[in-house]
Amino acid sequence: MEDFVSAIQSAYNIRIVGQYVDEFARGVGHTVTAAAFSLALSLVFGLALALMRISGRRFLSYPAAAYVQIIRSTPLLLQIYIVYFGLPAIFPSMGRLPEIILGIIALTMHTGAYMAEIIRSGLLSVPNGQREGAIAVGMTTFQQYRYVILPQGIVNIIPALLGQTAILIKDTSLLSLITVFDLVSAGMLLNSDRVRPNEAFLTIAAIYFVIYLLVLFLSRLVEDRLAGRGWRVPA
Amino acid sequence: MISQLLDFLGSDLAHYWKIAAAVMPALLKGFVETLKLALVGIVWGSLFGGMLGILRGQYIRIATPLIGAYLHLLRGTPFLVQLYVIYFVLPNTGYSWLQWDSQTAAFVSLGIYTSSYVTEIVSGAIRAIPRGQWEGAFALGFTRLKTLRLIILPQSVGLILPALGGVYVTLIKATSIVSVVGIVELMRQADISIVRFPGDILYIYFLAGALYFAFCFPVLMLVGRLEERSKNGRMVRT
Repeated sequence: MEDFVSAIQSAYNIRIVGQYVDEFARGVGHTVTAAAFSLALSLVFGLALALMRISGRRFLSYPAAAYVQIIRSTPLLLQIYIVYFGLPAIFPSMGRLPEIILGIIALTMHTGAYMAEIIRSGLLSVPNGQREGAIAVGMTTFQQYRYVILPQGIVNIIPALLGQTAILIKDTSLLSLITVFDLVSAGMLLNSDRVRPNEAFLTIAAIYFVIYLLVLFLSRLVEDRLAGRGWRVPA
Repeated sequence: MISQLLDFLGSDLAHYWKIAAAVMPALLKGFVETLKLALVGIVWGSLFGGMLGILRGQYIRIATPLIGAYLHLLRGTPFLVQLYVIYFVLPNTGYSWLQWDSQTAAFVSLGIYTSSYVTEIVSGAIRAIPRGQWEGAFALGFTRLKTLRLIILPQSVGLILPALGGVYVTLIKATSIVSVVGIVELMRQADISIVRFPGDILYIYFLAGALYFAFCFPVLMLVGRLEERSKNGRMVRT
């Protein structure tokens, strides 16, 4: 028994992690903050891009389509570096923004493109008769979207949006490379202090996994709830 | 001082031309390395993921939940963390055969990362084949393996191939992360070039981005077309 405990301790000593609880908490806080802000902003940005794409006006839909394709065809790490080095160079008047804000901007630009694709497919899934009906009762374009198209379009894509959110949370790990003190940085700090890679990296992985399970649970919950009220299962 | 000078010259087209000429050979070399990494990743990932996917596609008592757990583990952690675990934690176990250099660690992590996507695609494609196909084959006295090889897999290829193209693009983009453990691929070459020309950080990253784009965009277009065709119910010609 004694041997077993010491073997476990030499492989993964929970006390070392215990000494770094504050750092890990701070890291998780930054990770969650970055993910939450990027999520909210990218939903707004993605909706704008999706509306531009389906607007049917070339000067709106072409730039939006080009933007989405460019984002989808280049790595996120490159986009983060471009924002990190580029924004301060283009707008020197902004001064030195904190890294986490630059990171949120980069993640928003990246995730927004993917959100736009999802939202677009949701909006296109609403039958045309709905819009025609809304026009027939005299709604303005804004009212059509606000009361008829968006509510039906968004419901269909909530699972996909949650999936993209899970990806976004994982993508925040790349912010550690532009010196944001996120979850990965917290583990790196432990490793560079104590040279205990097991405690450092397995803890990071475990925490990310727990966050992932929470999102998974949430999406199951949402799907079940939607299933209760005329949820249309895609064929 | 030098960077100010370069900034001043920055408005000059000839200057950009010169930088591009100086940097492009290194970037292209890095791009070839990126393609090589991605190729190794797709080969190992497809072999491993294909096997797991075939197992997972047909409800085998112990294998299916185990593979499900494996997929959740891979999907629940960022690729960067997987890479760190493979590069830092595995050598720490003390087994000599796990003492990988950065190259092997990169290959292994890319292969494992790809396998999770491929498993999901293959198992989904197998499950998309109606059960009647299995039952018909069994009624004719086919063994399970023969049914898979002759009946099920040929029909699911049309679903698998376009999706694999999408995975290939994801993989190319993931290789940029491998640069953090010191693999000299496109991203790393861009960083090295920036040390040479510190005044043109943005421009060099744009060049690197253009190379990624030049590869990923046509593949994505092709994938979109193939998916459109398989959605319309036509066979994808292989």
